[in-house]
Amino acid sequence: MMRLAFRNLFQNKIRLAISVGGVALALLLILSLDAIFTGVEQRLTVYINQSGADVFVSQSGVRNMHMASSSLPASVEKKVKAVPGIEAVTPILYISNMVVTGDERNLAYIIGLPEKAVLGRPGKVTIGRDQPKDGEAIIDRDIADKSGIALGDIVEILGEDFEVVGLSEETTSLVNSVAFISLADFEVLRGSPQVISFLLVKVSAGEDPNAVAKRIEARVRDVTAQTRDAFAGQERQVIKDMSTDLITIMNLIGFLIGLAVMALTVYTATLSRRAEYGVLKAIGAHNSHLYRAVLAQALLSVAIGYGLGLGFTLLLSEMIPLTGISLTLIVSGASMIKVSGVSLVIAAVSAVLPIKQIAGLDPAMVFRGK
Amino acid sequence: MSLSRRNLFQDKTRLALSVGGVALAVMLILVLNGFLDGLNRQITLYLDRSPGSIIVAQDGVNNLLGATSLLPSGIEYKVDSLRGVEDVAPILSQFVILDLHDKKQPAYLVGYEPGKGGGPWEISSGRQPKRDREVVFDRILAGRHRMRIGDTFELMGKDFTIVGLSNGTTSWMTSFFFMRKKAAEDLFSAPQATSFLLVTLYKVVETGEVLNRLNDLSGVNALTKKEMAINDLKLFADIFSAPLKLMVGIAFLVGTMIVGMVIYTATVERQREYGVLKAIGAANRVLYQVVTVQALLAALAGAVIGVVMAYGVSQGIMAARPQFLIVFDPSDVEKALLAGLGMALVAALFPARVVAGLAPAEVFRR
Repeated sequence: MMRLAFRNLFQNKIRLAISVGGVALALLLILSLDAIFTGVEQRLTVYINQSGADVFVSQSGVRNMHMASSSLPASVEKKVKAVPGIEAVTPILYISNMVVTGDERNLAYIIGLPEKAVLGRPGKVTIGRDQPKDGEAIIDRDIADKSGIALGDIVEILGEDFEVVGLSEETTSLVNSVAFISLADFEVLRGSPQVISFLLVKVSAGEDPNAVAKRIEARVRDVTAQTRDAFAGQERQVIKDMSTDLITIMNLIGFLIGLAVMALTVYTATLSRRAEYGVLKAIGAHNSHLYRAVLAQALLSVAIGYGLGLGFTLLLSEMIPLTGISLTLIVSGASMIKVSGVSLVIAAVSAVLPIKQIAGLDPAMVFRGK
Repeated sequence: MSLSRRNLFQDKTRLALSVGGVALAVMLILVLNGFLDGLNRQITLYLDRSPGSIIVAQDGVNNLLGATSLLPSGIEYKVDSLRGVEDVAPILSQFVILDLHDKKQPAYLVGYEPGKGGGPWEISSGRQPKRDREVVFDRILAGRHRMRIGDTFELMGKDFTIVGLSNGTTSWMTSFFFMRKKAAEDLFSAPQATSFLLVTLYKVVETGEVLNRLNDLSGVNALTKKEMAINDLKLFADIFSAPLKLMVGIAFLVGTMIVGMVIYTATVERQREYGVLKAIGAANRVLYQVVTVQALLAALAGAVIGVVMAYGVSQGIMAARPQFLIVFDPSDVEKALLAGLGMALVAALFPARVVAGLAPAEVFRR
């Protein structure tokens, strides 16, 4: 029966291409949306992961960086430094603002870095310096490329002109990018000299970041201290919670489209082989054998469609960055498992109509030439 | 025409599946576009409903939602004393992340002075905040988290009590909530800080002249609310347009493939009949017309049903998830019908190739 399914499937190449292509596109819809949000999650935490900090200290109750605001008195730095088990502390200022390049306005996290910052500098700077002095800025390379900005050019941040002295990698996402200026410039432009946003903490060798975070919260008042992993997890959670409903709706639509394509293909394929199924019934094949053939046909089509959909998504994830669009697609294992499940359901449900058709098939019809 | 119709209606189940597939694709295109239109309306909610016609922001800040603004101290009085300015409402605003029932909920906090404006424009129940630890919460956001008037929640280490629920202040991404400006200053450790000034002008005054006077002040950027709304729309449209276009493109391709497959199968099944028609002198052009009309009928029926389905589905989505606003413009419906037409024309290419390659003599050899 498997051979029959295989033959039925590959007998008409165009129909096979359309059905497999349709399913692939429907699955691509689900896979690509998942990949977009996974990409945003990953890119949103790049700064946190590459900062070199083991622990992030923020205003009490502030557990995120994205779409959040944290204000700590500058004096907290000394108090945190005095906590045992800490090797280095770097204060940063942070605000969500724009990097303006000519007519282009790009949403960005603006980070104010102190001179000779041990922590918090951009993780990958392939062109120029990774530490801005007064009047200087480091911006994302994709943003620079998009706007035709090179080292030595001027960009506007917080209403002031800055000379670009470095271009950082992997610091842009669908939502925004990250730009770095000096802490002194940041303080002047924001007019709040005795306030910092976050403290980045490196723990001493052999110290457990979790234990140090708890120690900081116990010894310093009105702060929240989180390990790098916990802080990054909170960031990812924002994107997850924001996108859950949207992803559910789109997944459902993708599923229905995939189902429609598949149902149509298996149905038409079965219909055109009606006489053959009748012959098989007439020579004694059980309905269950024929059902298996139809199901196998649906499963094979969906499996090929899944492979193609996955291939398209991976191809898109490679191609999109080349177009200059700030969109990172990352296909996660969880997404692949989910879409495999969806594919199986599509195959099973799409086989229902043709199975009904076969069940009602009268073997004698074959001999009547119908 | 009658041949096209007969071919198409010969197998009802196949026709239903094909029309259904196109309807799904068109529905997806419409819902996605409607979602973006709704999002755009939600993005400019505050600017549309807050008082005044001019916004004064920090120098270099052109957006309300995209950027954080901090005005120079004492600017409110300077603006208030300018000729042509009738009223000034200062606000301190900032995105925050609320942790509600283990869910991260981005929200836009607006600190305002109840006597001056800039707060909620429609309170469905409760009242405006009178004390520092009181807030007016978005009604839909509160409903999603089963929060009522009198409930408390934690924000940046402080507890706040909901004293009022506001209408028309929600969006998919973020909802607005309101507290007294002084409370926001304490929360952000920014005493006397102001993000934006909402400026109302006297009716007889020329807006351009006042804008010039405002922009002469140091450290500020004054622009009309309309301009700021356009800036916010552009900013978010840039963010969402790429994934949205990708989805719409996929939906279009799926619809095309479905129509293509149906008409192709119907054409292949009727291959002999087409051969006979060719043999008795029918030109390829006539046969192309037959398959194109079939494709058009299937695609247009699907498109029309897709429009109806999109309306129903969007009502369902908005009832189940009120934070989503899906808006249909007549132009969107036109676009969807055009998309259906486009699907039909592209889809007709597959069967047209079959018909074109058909040898009339084939009929007589069988």
